[in-house]
Amino acid sequence: MSWSHMLELIQNILITQTGIPNLAVNQVIMILIGLLFLYLAIAKEYEPLLLVPIGFGIFIVNFPLTPLMGFTEHGNPELIRAFYKYGVEWEIIPCVIFLGLGAMTDFGPLIANPKTLIIGAGAQLGVFVTYLGVLFFGFTLKEAASVGIIGGADGPTTIYLTAKLAPHLLGANALAAYSYMAMVPLIQPPIMRMMTTLEQRRIRMRQLRYVSQREKLLFPLIGCALIVLLIPAVAPLMGMFMFGNLMRECGVVKRLSDTAQNALMNIVTIFLGLSVGATMQADVFLTWKPLLIFAFGLVDFVICTFGGILTVHIMNIFLKDKINPLIGSAGVSAVPMAARVAHSEGLKADPDNWLIMHAMSPNLAGVIGSAAAAGMFIAMFQ
Amino acid sequence: MTAKYKRIFSAAWIMGSLLGLLLCPGTIRTGHAAFGEDIEKPKPEFSREGDRVTAKYIPRAKSTSVQVHFTVSGGKLVEVRGLEWEIAERPEVDVKNFKSALFTIEIGDVSPGAEAMVTLSSDFFTSSTQFYVFNEKLSSPWMVSECENISLPDRVQDLVIKVIDGGPYDSDGTVNGRIFFVGGPRDSFWAYALGTLFIRFFGIFLVLGILQICMELSGRIFQKMDINNSQKGMRSESEPLEDVSIPQAIGNDDGEQAIDTESVSAAAVALHIHLSRLRAPERLELGTSESTGWIQHGRQMAMGANPSNTRR
Repeated sequence: MSWSHMLELIQNILITQTGIPNLAVNQVIMILIGLLFLYLAIAKEYEPLLLVPIGFGIFIVNFPLTPLMGFTEHGNPELIRAFYKYGVEWEIIPCVIFLGLGAMTDFGPLIANPKTLIIGAGAQLGVFVTYLGVLFFGFTLKEAASVGIIGGADGPTTIYLTAKLAPHLLGANALAAYSYMAMVPLIQPPIMRMMTTLEQRRIRMRQLRYVSQREKLLFPLIGCALIVLLIPAVAPLMGMFMFGNLMRECGVVKRLSDTAQNALMNIVTIFLGLSVGATMQADVFLTWKPLLIFAFGLVDFVICTFGGILTVHIMNIFLKDKINPLIGSAGVSAVPMAARVAHSEGLKADPDNWLIMHAMSPNLAGVIGSAAAAGMFIAMFQ
Repeated sequence: MTAKYKRIFSAAWIMGSLLGLLLCPGTIRTGHAAFGEDIEKPKPEFSREGDRVTAKYIPRAKSTSVQVHFTVSGGKLVEVRGLEWEIAERPEVDVKNFKSALFTIEIGDVSPGAEAMVTLSSDFFTSSTQFYVFNEKLSSPWMVSECENISLPDRVQDLVIKVIDGGPYDSDGTVNGRIFFVGGPRDSFWAYALGTLFIRFFGIFLVLGILQICMELSGRIFQKMDINNSQKGMRSESEPLEDVSIPQAIGNDDGEQAIDTESVSAAAVALHIHLSRLRAPERLELGTSESTGWIQHGRQMAMGANPSNTRR
């Protein structure tokens, strides 16, 4: 073998079998973006459960020649592509996460104060305004719906709807949703203060009534039946959510409920995060669309918060027992972060005013509201 | 102007600005090509059954396929083909309004100069669907056809268009017994987008409103049942019972009213909260997986002792 042959062989190996000569600038940018999200998740603890796997997914998938998101010569999906295909593309993981969320949720505050369901509906205002806004920027109806749902501040719902309607936007939408959910304590308080007076923030609400175990047990059945009858398209999400809650409240399947809340939830979170992160490959992600999605996602959150508080103001015109408008901001799912924010803002106005349980109520209504909005969008395209 | 109105005004101003930014005409881009690709392009597949041709495709803004049936009277339906939008694209038309594909319909065996009736039938059409004709030989190639929109059972709509051999709708423009008819069904995109926006937003209010009413009603029923049960329980408690375990009570020997330990602990917690002006910690643990009846009761007692209730 001559030297020239040897050099050619080395050159071939370098070009076809190693990543370094194939590393492009846009891939480096994406790797840095992945590292940024890892930093935010680890150092700042912004939604670490999701942003660590998402950040790592972005990081690993953008190295050149990695057999992760493609298909083998025989057409079989490669590692993360398989997670994506069977978990996200088949719409399984978001529903399993809803099962876990249902098993973790205590609907007591919502059952005790059903009026707050209306706040959950009002807080979906941003979803529809953003849907309209992005249409003006040339997004298709399906894309607009999937971007709009970001304001619902519900990660699994966003992923479920986007996977169904605009899978090419999955990475950007999921990342925007989880990033802004993590930033709820930064985004919401200025809007809350702007839309309320000190007097309104000091409104004290009547103590929630006692909710019997029987009521809690029947709620998932009654709620599920009603919602699925009215919006059948939301059955996969709402069915799993209510099933998880039934397991929790019935008290006879503690092991199943524990598994749904912990082990199962954690497992699917890992696969979901990695899969979503891995969709953000440089050639797909580094376009104008994700930037617009991030911009509109923020607008969406702002308008949803505005919508929730405005709904409380309108309700207060008719109600004898006034509602503290701060809890309106909790109408954007983001459980329980949004409720905590409402509570802490309430405490700033009046250190004795306990709003947390009252805020949990519209917070749970927001979960149902955003799922209902997703169902409406899915039905629209059927 | 009071602080309240100032706040409402400034909030409205900011929201208005945001909306303005969203809807600013300078930023409006329409058309599928805003991002360089038409990802929803319909790809019709045609099948023939006797004199009827059926096109099956997924239209824009839909996830499921639809079928459009083509029939012709006054001639023979030779062929129906799909037409690339790029060929018919003109500034005056927006592809978003054409959710269905564009079609080239070829009709033969027409008496020269005579007319033929083309019928497009589908449950995808609505009563407001129009049919737009494209003829590039005309100075304004796109025109709305004089189409009859007939409602049939099972939500099927028939679009019936009269086409004359050699007339404006005939793309070959000659009287030769053959008609080439090009066009597609048109639905207003913005009317649909805005209409569905309002309907669906208020739909959420409706759904959650119904859920609220049902929850209010069931809540009242359950509360009534609980009251009845507790009254029954009190009645049975008032009857003398054997082997009743008396709860541990704290009291004095002077015959003053005794207080049970549970009330004492709840009162202690309430006092602690009140005196220490408890502020929410940065991270509240809201998981209630381990909450027992006792904890719930204690929590409620604690909240009941909150001055917020006593001041009202």
